[in-house]
Amino acid sequence: MVTEAQLKKVAGAGNVSDAPAALEAFAGDASFVGKTRPRFVVKVLEAERVKDLVDLARETGTPLVPVSSDAPHFLGDTVPTTGDAVILDLSGMKQISFIDRVGRVAVVEPGVTFGELIPAVAEHGLRLNMPLRPRATKSVLGSMLSREPVIMPHYHWDISDPIGSTEVVFGTGDVFRTGSAANPGTIEEQRQAGGVQKEAAGPSANSWHRVIQGAQGTMGIVTWASCRCELLPRLEQPYFIGSSELPELLEVIHWLVRLRLGNECLIVDRSFMAVLTANDDAEHARLVAGLPPWVLFFNLVAYDYLPEQRMEGQIEDTKELLQRLGVEAAQSLGGVSARRFLETIREPSPQPYWKIGRAGACQDIFFVTTLTKIPGLVELMTKATEAAGFPTARLGVYLQPIVQGTNCHCEFSLFYDPADAAETQAVRALATDVIRPLMGAGAFFSRPFGEAARQIMNEDGATVEALKKVKAIVDPAGILNPGKLCF
Amino acid sequence: MALKDYQSEMETCCRCSACKFIPLEKVTGYEHANVCPSISRYDFHAYSGGGRMAFGLSLVHGRVKYTPKVAEVVYNCNLCGACDVSCKYAMDMDVLEPLYAVRQECVKQGQTLPALDKLVAKMKKQGPMVLGAKGRHKAWHEGLDVADYTKEKAPVVYHAGCLARCDESSGRAARTSVALLQKAGIKVGIAKDRELCCGGRAYEMGYLDEAKAQAELNVARFKESGAAEIVTGCAHCYQYYKVLYPKLGFDTGLKIWHVTEYLAQLLAKGTLKPCKEVDLTVTYHDPCHLGRLSEPWIPWEGKQRERHMRVYEPPRTFRRGAGGVYEPPREVLRSIPGLKLVEMDRIKEYAWCCGAGGGVRESNPEFARWTAVERLNEAESTGADALVTACPHCSQNLQGAGGDGGSIGVCDIVELLDRAI
Amino acid sequence: MAMKKEQYRAFESVVGPENISDEPLHLDAWAWRSGQAAGAQDFKPRFEAILMPGSTEEVQAIVRLCNKFRLQYKASSTGWGSYCDPGGPGCLKLDLRRMNRIVEIDEDSMYAVVEPYVITAQFQGELMKRGLHCNINGAGAITSAMPLAAHEGIGHLSQCCSVGERNLLAVEWVTPEGEIIRTGSAGSIGEWFCGDGPGPSLRGILRGNVVPLGGLGVYTKAATKIYHWPGPPTMRLKGHSPGYAPADPPPYFMARFLSFADENGRALAIRKIGESEIGFVLMGFNANMVAANVATSNEEEIVLAEEYLKSIQGPGFCFVIAGNSARDFEYKKQVLDLIIKEAKGKSLKAVEGGDVEAGLMWRCIRVTASIRETMRATGVFGGEIFGTDSYQVQSNFIQHSVRDKADLIERGLVYADSTFPFITSLEHGQQAHSEVLLRYTPSPEVAQGTMEYVGKANKNAVNGHYGLPHHVFNDAQHDFFGPHMWGYHKWLRKVKKAFDPNATSESSHHITVKDPAAEE
Repeated sequence: MVTEAQLKKVAGAGNVSDAPAALEAFAGDASFVGKTRPRFVVKVLEAERVKDLVDLARETGTPLVPVSSDAPHFLGDTVPTTGDAVILDLSGMKQISFIDRVGRVAVVEPGVTFGELIPAVAEHGLRLNMPLRPRATKSVLGSMLSREPVIMPHYHWDISDPIGSTEVVFGTGDVFRTGSAANPGTIEEQRQAGGVQKEAAGPSANSWHRVIQGAQGTMGIVTWASCRCELLPRLEQPYFIGSSELPELLEVIHWLVRLRLGNECLIVDRSFMAVLTANDDAEHARLVAGLPPWVLFFNLVAYDYLPEQRMEGQIEDTKELLQRLGVEAAQSLGGVSARRFLETIREPSPQPYWKIGRAGACQDIFFVTTLTKIPGLVELMTKATEAAGFPTARLGVYLQPIVQGTNCHCEFSLFYDPADAAETQAVRALATDVIRPLMGAGAFFSRPFGEAARQIMNEDGATVEALKKVKAIVDPAGILNPGKLCF
Repeated sequence: MALKDYQSEMETCCRCSACKFIPLEKVTGYEHANVCPSISRYDFHAYSGGGRMAFGLSLVHGRVKYTPKVAEVVYNCNLCGACDVSCKYAMDMDVLEPLYAVRQECVKQGQTLPALDKLVAKMKKQGPMVLGAKGRHKAWHEGLDVADYTKEKAPVVYHAGCLARCDESSGRAARTSVALLQKAGIKVGIAKDRELCCGGRAYEMGYLDEAKAQAELNVARFKESGAAEIVTGCAHCYQYYKVLYPKLGFDTGLKIWHVTEYLAQLLAKGTLKPCKEVDLTVTYHDPCHLGRLSEPWIPWEGKQRERHMRVYEPPRTFRRGAGGVYEPPREVLRSIPGLKLVEMDRIKEYAWCCGAGGGVRESNPEFARWTAVERLNEAESTGADALVTACPHCSQNLQGAGGDGGSIGVCDIVELLDRAI
Repeated sequence: MAMKKEQYRAFESVVGPENISDEPLHLDAWAWRSGQAAGAQDFKPRFEAILMPGSTEEVQAIVRLCNKFRLQYKASSTGWGSYCDPGGPGCLKLDLRRMNRIVEIDEDSMYAVVEPYVITAQFQGELMKRGLHCNINGAGAITSAMPLAAHEGIGHLSQCCSVGERNLLAVEWVTPEGEIIRTGSAGSIGEWFCGDGPGPSLRGILRGNVVPLGGLGVYTKAATKIYHWPGPPTMRLKGHSPGYAPADPPPYFMARFLSFADENGRALAIRKIGESEIGFVLMGFNANMVAANVATSNEEEIVLAEEYLKSIQGPGFCFVIAGNSARDFEYKKQVLDLIIKEAKGKSLKAVEGGDVEAGLMWRCIRVTASIRETMRATGVFGGEIFGTDSYQVQSNFIQHSVRDKADLIERGLVYADSTFPFITSLEHGQQAHSEVLLRYTPSPEVAQGTMEYVGKANKNAVNGHYGLPHHVFNDAQHDFFGPHMWGYHKWLRKVKKAFDPNATSESSHHITVKDPAAEE
């Protein structure tokens, strides 16, 4: 077991803590995974220390749990499974080392949050393809590593987007660079040669960024990563389409994404939208009463060339499309303006995180599927929620086309009161019990977290065996976040 | 030319596999993208045009000997020329010529097939190049009031071809052709029972000397006839007279016509007037020898003038199949009142072979049948009532496969036109 | 190790006697060298036998037997590239010709599942009927539709249809040891729409910018992203081969060849085109390649090249616009005009309008003329293929290679078809890719020259800090680059060793496992 002295020697005296409060902060999170206090919390402020810490961990057989975002945490991936684990708190690594307008890229350390990066790239005329209203403390890098769905399917070419190149420390202690960050020379030399450390794939016939993503820190610890950026539009015109018929909206969103009409594009149910946008309980109630059951949001944009003409053309083309599909768009719905909604979804949420601000807690059940399967999955989940005795009015649904419409992220949010023990128990049981039925109906839990993760992984034994082989390559000693996924 | 003389052609094969498919611009979906019956049936790369280039080189380099196994691959090829057309969509190289050369080498090495030996033997005896033709049924020309050009001069010779002498259906088509020409006032002569085999199929099978000898006989006969033009209903004979003979250095002294070309002219002039409705939807099968293979021969001799580009002095023009006879048969069909023509996916220079050519029908009837069934299925997929063709070999092979290939009927273009006259 | 008779019989019992052969003529049909990067060697080593499995289960059985018998195998689809060849004896060819089904097309979810021998021409043809289409490898529509079969998966349509590495969804993989792994949603729930997860993605070890070129088992099915097609269900053509042209060019399509005074002008135009997302096809051809594309013979190419070269300013690209509507098309055209003006570009009049433009447009979309552009000259082409990275890196790097090409031309070792570099744009300019292609008649002298050329390119890539060319495949090249690139080659070897402990998946064009001590 590693000692405090050993850790302090590597990380610096002021950066190692075993204070009860510090340990308790990482012992559990808002998920249902069991609490386990780590042995130490180490604040890491420089990338070089990560390798040193990994080497130390290997020598001493110490499990490491890397954490990029500040609290609160929700998914259980940052909670240790053994009491001798050491938390590597990377949230203080806040360098935005490079932003390039021409390359449409930004390079960030793990601790950089959306709140910090959004204005930084905006100064360069860029924006992020980001998840829906992330919490204020959410790490951009952490989000990318988690393959979190993003709100502009237009620019989501691949499920790994927007991650680019990375620098990663494997469990072997080797520092490696993925993608074009691995190019010969120093970063400065690469940039002089025209490189921007953006290409994610490679080098050669492997794409290690895909192995690191979705791994919950079990394959390597990323010390910096590049993030593909998009351009800030010149003009924007957001819209809603409300409907009581979900299939109708799914058809619309398929075509919007397919024809690349608009940037931000998603569907929520009224429950989700009310929690997302309401400023207070009264507004929440009004929204629940006044919104249609389902709301599609999309945002038409125009860029630098002939923006007015482009916008006009896109509006007309969209009108014709919607007419063919028998729906109409509006600039406000249920008292919420589409513009306000747009601003809401692409700004980080102030504290408390919007998902827990209303009821106190939220259990998310999310997976990837296809648009045609959604109605069946929604029906299944609604029935399961009813059967579990949980009020369906507090079941929120968020549907996010990703991978340019090839996939759809489906997120069921159970907004519950953590102080209500029965309700909490019902939610906990539902979150596990509904997994199998959902899988049977076409839900692919590509990012399994928490209590159900191992169950989900084990549905595919062949993949698990293969992943174990890969794990044995990059972390033969098994020190990186042991006990997660299938490891 | 010997196989070795085609070494440069064969070495130009880059192994792209375009020879297995119709020109890629033309592919409209999953079905009917294949163009080579050989590889479509047997799957091994050696059966494709490119594969044959490769093992042609093996033969040249002595890496592979001429064995019965080699013969099996060599002769399971219709020499339809589809690979040649598809290759030449992008490349400047001959594929078909080396294939003929391989056949000739096989014959030289004694690697022949008994069925083909028999055919050639029959030809040498001046019999029809048709297996199993025992004795004579009613001659196709019996009862026709038509001159015998071997005895009296006729300006236009009609050449029926070997199959007409042995196969009732082909004979009927020949008879109808002559009757139509006569109706149009053309003074036609035929050779009756003394018609010579053109010898072309012997060439394709690799019997070069025998083919040349037969060509000599044909040329002498035509010169004696005093005719200026020859019309034939057999696409093979057409191609041999028009293309093969000049290639081998023979000149018939005649203007060569396929009967559909001739009829199309007569229709255009108004000499033949179809007036009866034929209420039928048909699709047209382009015979290889009337289509892509009938592009006129371009004699050339020269050498490459650039080290890193296959350009030649004098410039060399490649025959790519564009100059085949495609429109005249279609004009004939379009002239028939009430007839609707729908096209298959694989037509004209990229038509799927009927399966008969190259000696395959005789040496491997199963493969010939398989190929024909593919074509019949394709024809049926158009919704047509009948598949029309303009070659007795195609007719015979396609008709013979009927039953295996759905229910679509096969008919001859001339007989169809006759119904409308 | 040569195959024994009883081993042959074991394989025969898997595929059937009609689907296996060790006849010399069949072996030589595969031994004749590819025209891709041909050296002085005409015939490569023969495979021990050619096997044609018809199903995943047959592939698995073959792979297991190879592990048992310690024989190697190399799978290929259409088998064009030189990497389909074995490095030496003791290797079987798995010709996947019989595995040629389009398994599924999901129009609503815009993905399809294909087996290896579905060629992109067939695939695109089927998709077009449904208002969809796909990326096609730059080598042409003769290549596999599976984004794991071609070397890279970059093509003319990558401007709007991405590249193989990123179009790949779920995969069915027969591992080198003969396990069947279905990645992503295919393994988890039997659906093909997602290739990543659960958790970490095995896509990461199946391929990168390039594929393992036969060296990591056999991919028997894969799902691929497909895209919206704004054109007609079928492109009706007129004319005869090789001079086809669309009979009714679709209304909202336009093709151009644009040239610029220098590379900066071209770079600016490509950047702006990418940012404004107006491009459907963007291929950084030089004028010679356009001439080769349009010409139906080498003789004609020479004439056209001369004509085009007189009319262009400098480096350029071939460009196709496709509008989803009249407004969209009009907008894109207007923006193109503005960009051309801004970048001081010039459109090649010779390809504007009529059958020439329509034919060029369709050949770029169906990708049928790559053979003309590369192989028609002599049946052989080579050169160097650089990486996938920022446009600037591609551009800076390739300037070295074009100077080296000029030297080869000067020495008479390759065809003199100008030295404008080929750089192309991917995903609306998010990335780029460059190549310098050489056309030549192989000979020992030329082989030496082209090898030196590639060697120089490799050295430039390292010394100039440019990155890893895609033409890097085999131990020697990986060993050269790896130490300069964070030891990626060691990780590549570790994956190879973990999944192919018996080294049965022939990987002379990928990487082989070495003694770890020697590695260190």
